[in-house]
Amino acid sequence: MLPAAIMMDQQTVSAIQGFLGSQAKCVTSIEAGLVRDWVKTSRILVLVQNNNEHGLLVFVSSKPNVTSTADLSVEKAFPINEHFKCEIDTSGIDVFAGADVYVKVTYQKQKLLFELPFSPRTNTFVAEVTRAAEASSLRVGPPPSFTWLQAYVPLNVPHTLWFDLSDDNVSHHSVGSTSLKSGLAFDDNFSELMTSDNWPSNTELKKSDSQESDLDNSENFGNIPRQSIAMGATPLAARESVVKLQMTMREEDYTDLQNFRVFIGTWNVNGQAPIISLEDWLAPKSDLLPPDLYVIGFQELDLSKEAFLFNDTPREEEWLHAVSNALHPEAEYKKVKLVRLIGMMLIIFVQVKHVDCIQNVAAETVGTGIMGKMGNKGGVAVRFDLHSTSVCFINCHLAAHVEEFERRNQDYSDICARLVFNQFKPPKFIKDHQQIYWLGDMNYRIMDLDTDQVKGLIDKQCYPTLLEHDQLTIQHGFKRVFVGCIEGPVRFPPTYKYDPGTNDWDSSEKNRPPAWCDRILWKGEHISQLCYRSHPSLMISDHKPVSSVFEVGIKVVDNIKYRKIYEEVMKKLDKLENEFLPQVTVDKMEVHFERVTFIEPVSRFLTIANTGQVPVQFEFIKKLNDTRYCKDWLNIKPYMSFIMPGEKCDVELEVYVDKRTAFKLNSKQDTLDDILVLHLEGGKDLFITVQGAYIPSCFGSSLDALVRMPFPIREVPTAKLIDLETHPKEIKAKEPPFEIPKELWLLIDHLFKYGLTKEDLFQQPGLHQEIQQVLEKLDTGKPEHMPGSVNSVAEALLLFLEALADSVVPTIFYQRCLDCSNNFILCKQVIFQLPQVHRNVFLYIMYFLKELLHHSAYNKLDPNLLATVFGSILLRAPPNDDLDINLPGVRRNQQLADRKKATFVYHFLMNDW
Amino acid sequence: MAGRSGAQRPNGAMQGKICQFKLVLLGESAVGKSSLVLRFVKGQFHEYQESTIGAAFLTQTVCLDDTTVKFEIWDTAGQERYHSLAPMYYRGAQAAIVVYDIVNQDTFSRAKTWVKELQRQASPNIVIALAGNKADLANKRLVEYEEAQAYAEENGLLFMETSAKTAMNVNDIFLAIAKKLPKNEHSASGVSGPGRRGVDLSENQQQSSGGCCK
Repeated sequence: MLPAAIMMDQQTVSAIQGFLGSQAKCVTSIEAGLVRDWVKTSRILVLVQNNNEHGLLVFVSSKPNVTSTADLSVEKAFPINEHFKCEIDTSGIDVFAGADVYVKVTYQKQKLLFELPFSPRTNTFVAEVTRAAEASSLRVGPPPSFTWLQAYVPLNVPHTLWFDLSDDNVSHHSVGSTSLKSGLAFDDNFSELMTSDNWPSNTELKKSDSQESDLDNSENFGNIPRQSIAMGATPLAARESVVKLQMTMREEDYTDLQNFRVFIGTWNVNGQAPIISLEDWLAPKSDLLPPDLYVIGFQELDLSKEAFLFNDTPREEEWLHAVSNALHPEAEYKKVKLVRLIGMMLIIFVQVKHVDCIQNVAAETVGTGIMGKMGNKGGVAVRFDLHSTSVCFINCHLAAHVEEFERRNQDYSDICARLVFNQFKPPKFIKDHQQIYWLGDMNYRIMDLDTDQVKGLIDKQCYPTLLEHDQLTIQHGFKRVFVGCIEGPVRFPPTYKYDPGTNDWDSSEKNRPPAWCDRILWKGEHISQLCYRSHPSLMISDHKPVSSVFEVGIKVVDNIKYRKIYEEVMKKLDKLENEFLPQVTVDKMEVHFERVTFIEPVSRFLTIANTGQVPVQFEFIKKLNDTRYCKDWLNIKPYMSFIMPGEKCDVELEVYVDKRTAFKLNSKQDTLDDILVLHLEGGKDLFITVQGAYIPSCFGSSLDALVRMPFPIREVPTAKLIDLETHPKEIKAKEPPFEIPKELWLLIDHLFKYGLTKEDLFQQPGLHQEIQQVLEKLDTGKPEHMPGSVNSVAEALLLFLEALADSVVPTIFYQRCLDCSNNFILCKQVIFQLPQVHRNVFLYIMYFLKELLHHSAYNKLDPNLLATVFGSILLRAPPNDDLDINLPGVRRNQQLADRKKATFVYHFLMNDW
Repeated sequence: MAGRSGAQRPNGAMQGKICQFKLVLLGESAVGKSSLVLRFVKGQFHEYQESTIGAAFLTQTVCLDDTTVKFEIWDTAGQERYHSLAPMYYRGAQAAIVVYDIVNQDTFSRAKTWVKELQRQASPNIVIALAGNKADLANKRLVEYEEAQAYAEENGLLFMETSAKTAMNVNDIFLAIAKKLPKNEHSASGVSGPGRRGVDLSENQQQSSGGCCK
């Protein structure tokens, strides 16, 4: 057994064991998704053991990571007994796509579907549970009480609601949905648990049909835990899971049982060739109706050394031919499969009209002979799906000799364990089939009677008495072999051993007692045996052939009903999905910012209200080709968040135009317009339009435009502004352009008059409000006198220079300036090559700075400081968005560039030119 | 007893495979895109359908004989000012319905430019359907059926005149698209556009990213 720790983290496992206490042991556990009507929720499945009894507990945990016993509660407790079933179901799933597998847990009429990852872990868990179920089926004696298991059921729920051991609910006849309802319809949270009574039984179908046709009536989805979905706890399950569950639960509504007649024959032919007709065996006159399916098994087909060593024999073809010729004349047959291991051969024929109903045919062999694996003994098997029922036929030849019955039991167990159809994922074992048929020379003998006693009883046809001494009957009764299988009453004489060519008992010296070596058993629902007989007229072997005809119910999907239910499920799913899409309302879809000015932030608020049924994760998302979810002048806080149903979130939109964005807005290359895409995760998008009017400013204009504006910028018509910014030199004006922008003159003149001796000029920050007033003064001409302190005017000057469309030393000269920064002559040459306005402005500022330095005794300024401050403003690097300032190399280069810029300016402060 | 027609097991074909496709509706405003979707998904019609400001999202499943097709429908805003956002929605779409209004010639011209844009910019295998909506107003029609049909044929489009009001051809046009879409695993993507959708909000990420057909 695998230690539980491999299956889950240690904390969870110890919490589980803590919950169980000393009463029971946690054998293994696994996390699983319980698929209910429409949702998938997380569960922990735990296989528990108390002495020799097992149970399956379904835990709910209150936290995603279980840390203590208090986090756990038991939702369901299943005793593992004959009513318990646990199957891996992969039909319709493409496991190669990495899909999940479904594990169906059935207890009496309750069905639970769990979704687990397709992994070895899942297989191990199911294998452990299956092993526990097998152990339970091997138990002899009175059924266990499982009182220890009931101890885990919460006290407020009567025990009978959890599982019912009384016989009333066990038999198949008591489908009575009322009794089930009273037993399972809880009023608490667990009531949504998927049990079969949530779906109408066949008798109720009509009534429910009329209800379901009214799809708009949301009452139909009464089982949806809306409250918990709203809390974000139980999302809708994956569509495949839900469809799977719904279709599994409603299987009875779209499948009919169709009767098939199955002929099963077995014969140990003792190596003989088929020199006789097989009609008396395969199609005796008494069998009026042709079987739909023939399953014919042979043993000792060829006793030659060649057959044993090379597994090659002409007998295969001969017997196949003989069988083909002896099938029922009233029908046409086609071979489905032939499989042979040395002497054991199994042939399946089906009526031609059923050929399409057979799918997923597979054959396997297992040798249990010499050294436990040679093919002189063992089994050969064929499995397939007949319509929707999976069937498996096993032809076996078990160990010989009277005293070897335990060896025979062992052979049977080995075949069960080792015969695997590996082409299926997960692989299918014999037990994984709905109908299982065993046939063959089982070799069990009659014990404790001598040959004469046996023959005497046979003559009197006292078969029941004889069968009391039949090893198979005895071992079967002890549950040592063919557990769960059924054999019909044996009413024919033993089939072994005869003198070949006669109906006389073996006359050799050994004088063995006759025995029923050749048998047919079955396991599964809807199987009834019509006859079980031997065929003494076939005399070539020392065995007589045996045959049995069954009438079996096969599940046939009614495609029309299936499709109707499937479409119904899909419709409901669509409706639910759409109903559970995130929904919000936003109080305004258009946001207006009436008047926006330079460096003055303006805010507006949006209210996003979650009006849907699920939590909403919203995010303002980027449009195609954009690098940001909105334009640079806009900021959204928060730009993504989470809103619970019924709650709201306020979102602030702030427009802030600064030196980066002012020029484009001034020159109308950009406008204050944007469309924001508000995306709801898993749902729709909303478009929110943002609009505003940007008031142009000399901040963010170009020098060329400014020198051509005789008036404050606000007095310049918009069209003229665009012309000025796009092609200033082509504009004919009455008056020549200014030498430098009047705004620059106003600022510097003010500082010249009032700030030369001001201590720490350009180092003390100004006041935001005063800077705004300076801005207003420059843009409108009002008031007449420059407002604000000297420090504010000084900062406004820096800001003015920073915001210029192109820096005072245009960016195209930037690299040259850095390259020649260690040489004053070259620096001077560059400056004299600048466009005139730029040169004027540069030199004008240098004059002013030199003047400042003349008063350094008072203002405490030194040339290094001024060169650093102005170097970084006057020389601006060309825009390069790709560079990340945080990269070490980039930062080092930046420091170097800053030093060169300062050096460049420093020359002009210290030298005459 | 069921006859031989019940031979195939439907479990494999119909139950497991749900192909998911992204479908986008494009067209001038007020031609009835949202109404078509509403009729298709909910069977409803509102005379005064609100203008879509954004991209509405709904899902609807169509069951074909052999497969199940789940449409993730993006119903876009038709107003011209949102035109630049349309690529967000048709990018990665496997199907598009370009809608016009049969009583408005301009909307037909606009539809043609949408088709051109899709042919140029959308994924090359996109299945495009042209829907001449408001067919209930046929007596006031300004776009002739034959003209639109000829245009659709030239450009390899599915074409139907539809009416969201009377439901005429609404299911049919989606069904026709579903049939025309390739169902192999590579052609359809489970994840679409900006939505990164998938109703399973739980940990089932691999499923939605693993292609459509599961």
